[in-house]
Amino acid sequence: MSGGLTGTGHLARLILRRDRVRLPAWTLGLGGLIAASALAVPGFYDTPEKVAGYAATVGASPVSLLMSGRQTGIETIGGITANEISQVAQIGICLMVTFLVVRHTRAEEESGRAELLRSTVLGRHAAAVAALGYGVLAAVLVGLVTTGSMLGAELDASGSIVYGAGLALLGVCYSAIALVAAQLSTSARGALAIAGGAVTVGYLVRGLGAMQDNAAVWLSPFGWAQAMNSFGEERWWPAALLVVATAALLGVAAHLTTRRDFAGGFIHPRPGHPRASAALASPLGLATRLLRGRLIGWGVGLTLLAMVYGAVVPTVPDLLESNPDIADYIGAGSDAESAIVEAFLRYVLLFLAVIGTGYGVSAVLLVRTEEESKRVEHVLATRTSRTQWMGAVVVVAAVGSAVLAVLMGAGLAAGYVLGGGGADTALATVGHQLTYLPAVLVVVGFAAAVVGLAPRSPLLAWALALVSGLQVLLGQTLRLPDALQGLSPFWHLPGVPGSSIDPRPGAAELLLAVALVAVGLWAHRRRDLELT
Amino acid sequence: MTVIETRDLRKTFGSTTALDGLDLVVPQGQVHGFLGPNGSGKSTTVRILLGLLRADSGHVRLFGQDAWADATELHRRLAYVPGEVALWPNLTGGEIIDILARMRGGLDEARRRDLLDRFDLDPSKKSRTYSKGNRQKVAVVAAFASRAELFLLDEPTSGLDPLMEAEFQRCVHEVKAGGATVLLSSHILAEAEALSDRVSIIKHGRVVQSGSLTDLRHLTRTTVTAETAAPATSLTAMSGVHQPEFDDGRVTFDVDSDDLDEVIAALSRLGLRSLTAHPPTLEELFLRHYGEEIQVEAPTRGDGAR
Repeated sequence: MSGGLTGTGHLARLILRRDRVRLPAWTLGLGGLIAASALAVPGFYDTPEKVAGYAATVGASPVSLLMSGRQTGIETIGGITANEISQVAQIGICLMVTFLVVRHTRAEEESGRAELLRSTVLGRHAAAVAALGYGVLAAVLVGLVTTGSMLGAELDASGSIVYGAGLALLGVCYSAIALVAAQLSTSARGALAIAGGAVTVGYLVRGLGAMQDNAAVWLSPFGWAQAMNSFGEERWWPAALLVVATAALLGVAAHLTTRRDFAGGFIHPRPGHPRASAALASPLGLATRLLRGRLIGWGVGLTLLAMVYGAVVPTVPDLLESNPDIADYIGAGSDAESAIVEAFLRYVLLFLAVIGTGYGVSAVLLVRTEEESKRVEHVLATRTSRTQWMGAVVVVAAVGSAVLAVLMGAGLAAGYVLGGGGADTALATVGHQLTYLPAVLVVVGFAAAVVGLAPRSPLLAWALALVSGLQVLLGQTLRLPDALQGLSPFWHLPGVPGSSIDPRPGAAELLLAVALVAVGLWAHRRRDLELT
Repeated sequence: MTVIETRDLRKTFGSTTALDGLDLVVPQGQVHGFLGPNGSGKSTTVRILLGLLRADSGHVRLFGQDAWADATELHRRLAYVPGEVALWPNLTGGEIIDILARMRGGLDEARRRDLLDRFDLDPSKKSRTYSKGNRQKVAVVAAFASRAELFLLDEPTSGLDPLMEAEFQRCVHEVKAGGATVLLSSHILAEAEALSDRVSIIKHGRVVQSGSLTDLRHLTRTTVTAETAAPATSLTAMSGVHQPEFDDGRVTFDVDSDDLDEVIAALSRLGLRSLTAHPPTLEELFLRHYGEEIQVEAPTRGDGAR
């Protein structure tokens, strides 16, 4: 075991050099998102009444407890800010360190690059320690940005420091969990799945524990970070739990490293099917198979998200009743309850539909990734024409988008019923979600046109999805001019529920989507494949 | 019947000229070696034949049809092994072989079983876990398990071990016996030499030499080693003799094919005790076209024209 850490410094420098863009992008991106919220929240709660209203409504709502846990000091502006940012900040930091650590451990081993490095003077544990140190660095940077932005918003200083420290230590702890996951699985995907699963479990255990106000929160690193009671009766000893857990996990990872072969693991990939199933006999079958995992992932995630939103909807009238100030704030009298519920539903439906375009665009971009990887050569060297191949991918993208719309509508309905809403309204939401499908398909069609016309600029395929997202999230707040909002296909559709359904804009958008796909297919057939 | 025919094929990628007037003709039933170092334009040619890239100018026909416009129809009749085999990491080798064969228009079940066995390939492993050689085997098995009339093989044996390479050569002989045409692009000369009826040597995107191996050898020199009773120093003065080396009564030299007869007669008059002569290997043919430039250009020429 002597010299197990030899070369860690070299490796650390290599990691920083390779990720000189990635590390700032993650820390500034996530940190910026947190900072923007931290600086904006105090503006929304600028009177003592509004602060008190938040504690009585959001602070006591089971959905908020599930998503953000029991935040102490919720009756202060500091506590409100922490409660508002914690969902994004905590999940974001955990996912960030998971991706970064796995990238520099198992992914390197899987690619064979680590083999080259290990043949030099490099200790057995150097890679693990360098990657963990890198995860710690990223987590600390995000923690510093968070504390800095909270201090910038003139929140309580010690609360800001405790919150940032708890967040950073949570990231440190999950870096170590990712490190263990990287020892267990022989593939980077497997390691990401294990570590991602640990994030989900930790988050849900803390949420359920907080909802029922029981000791389960002590089973989760998320609970430990929150037990530092930022903006309340602050205490540092729960931080020790995170540090001890990190050290213990590091020990486990080191032990596993010495017990396994290089590139080996403890979870072995099962053998697959020696024959292709009958469904895999066509371009459509292949495209379905290649996009299946992606669709399942999006489907599960969006259904859960829709359920959470659905569960919130029935509480909206209560929220207004308990606090007339909020009703005024939203701009409606107490007699307009149903109108407010409708407005809320409309926003949720629209929001989910826009998020769902992410699947469609990424699915269409399969055409591009298959080209880049040169795998498309195999397909197009058969009797499959380019139109058939790209057409198959677009069909899977479009049908998958429709499936997602149904799933999101159903999730919303299920959450609504579970939250105490009526079944009749619930059923209608499935149909309502589908009315946004034409705009989703325009976004998908736009991506197809980009893949055909500008194969070297795959990022451009996301442009319309981005524009739509900005319009939905910020269009009203920033009072963007109609000409700008009109770039979003979602802006032209009648907002349901609440307005009568006019089928004409939807029909026109369907035609536009078909035209965009046709342009993409035509251009794709005429150009060189991008194989270099 | 002519299976592959290109005339004055040109293709540029930005400022790089990949093909500069390439002419290539391969009749039916021929195994045609397509030789050149990395970056000489071999893969670009194959991809144009497949209709994956479009030639800037020139004429490309497969089975008398246009390689770009009729690509899909033509692909029913051909099989392709790329030089760099990328596979879908979460599909198994067996699944990929089936998919490609079905999309190509049919799978010969007995042939598939036979090939998996001969190439010792486990079809139930995810392709993520395959080594480079095993990925290559997947593509080779998928190609030879089809009943294609034309095989486009782009450096098909890179990564295969010598046993598998021998198996691959048997496969080529089998499809040739069945009347198929093969275009074998390679920089492994022994392979082309063992398999090819004719070879074309490509340099900077054009064919600089084409013919049967006999034709090409005729243009070059034979290496002779002889032991003679009397010293053979007089050879130095003879025309067509190059680089004679004398060592303890033995002489080794290269001789131009046209002067061979005269030189051997001269040796015979000196009292031959032993004589070995071998025709030039493809290696030597190759070096004649590339020798000087490989040394000068290899470090600066990238893979840009592949």
